Amino acid sequence: MKFRIYRYDPESGNKPTMRDYELDFESTQPRQGKKVLDALIAIKDTLDESLSFRRSCREGVCGSDGVNVNGTNVLACITPLEGLKQPIEIRPLPRLGVIRDLIVDMEQFYQHYRAVKPYLINLDPEPENERLQSPEDRAELDGLWECILCGCCTTSCPSFWWNPDKFLGPAALLQGYRFIADSRDQATNERLDFLEDPYRLFRCHGIMNCVEVCPKGLNPTQAVGKIKALLVKRAL
Amino acid sequence: MRMVGGARRGLDMWLAQRASAVYMALFLPVFLFCVLTAPSLDYTGWRALFLPLGIKVAALLFVVALLLHAWIGLREIFIDYLHCARCTMLRLSLYFAVAVLYLACLVWAVDILWSVR
Repeated sequence: MKFRIYRYDPESGNKPTMRDYELDFESTQPRQGKKVLDALIAIKDTLDESLSFRRSCREGVCGSDGVNVNGTNVLACITPLEGLKQPIEIRPLPRLGVIRDLIVDMEQFYQHYRAVKPYLINLDPEPENERLQSPEDRAELDGLWECILCGCCTTSCPSFWWNPDKFLGPAALLQGYRFIADSRDQATNERLDFLEDPYRLFRCHGIMNCVEVCPKGLNPTQAVGKIKALLVKRAL
Repeated sequence: MRMVGGARRGLDMWLAQRASAVYMALFLPVFLFCVLTAPSLDYTGWRALFLPLGIKVAALLFVVALLLHAWIGLREIFIDYLHCARCTMLRLSLYFAVAVLYLACLVWAVDILWSVR
């Protein structure tokens, strides 16, 4: 199998380049069911130990191995090699600064995430056990809490490419709505105040790249739509 | 200075863009129906179409909706693409220039519509 992988070593002083690798999966181990991450690990083990990438759980839960494969943001660990056009081009997630090879600087992404205060704000005295929720209220959070913050959606969003410092991006907005929608949260108004800005929320033009690439099948555009609907409801 | 945000704006523009789109979507089929059922579409027939005050008002509102929609759309494009260090001035100038142009179009449309008597 042929691979073309983005390589960048800041210490070398050289510009980033695409390097070609050829991996013979068939002869060494059965190829069936192999994922992109298996190939990356195999390349690092057998061909080029200087190749750097992030990975941890290797089953699509930790969200650390988001990369751009043949132009689409994916989690390397759950993307099958089969069916990918060769040479398989693997690049770091777009628009974020590259630290080395496939490792990107996620600081901007986390900054937006922190900005939406991703935690419950409830000023009532703490109950003895837990804050209860009806099954219906809990169901409101489905499709929101599953986000693993891999960054595939935000870095595929053209609005984020254009205004990465001001537009929060689909991941942060989805998490913002996750706490707006939570019946136990008491800061809904403040959260909506924060989002009512020409940049933070309203740079979303419903391009829906985020929905297309989300490895967990979530729908940030729908969450953005719900935030907009709440803003309208509040204003009228 | 730190970057500031939270302008409490955006919703009005977004809503106005949707409202203008709804009006245009309602007006166009009705207007098309009027055109298709008109007895003739020569110069006098076309003029006769715009004789009733109701059509004049509806057409003028359509022009208002169209210009508003277009202005907000251009504003979105300027915000998306123009953000250099000095672009605030450039954006402001562009908003102003386009607004003046569109207002001129609006006055012109009033003149055209009400010249039909």
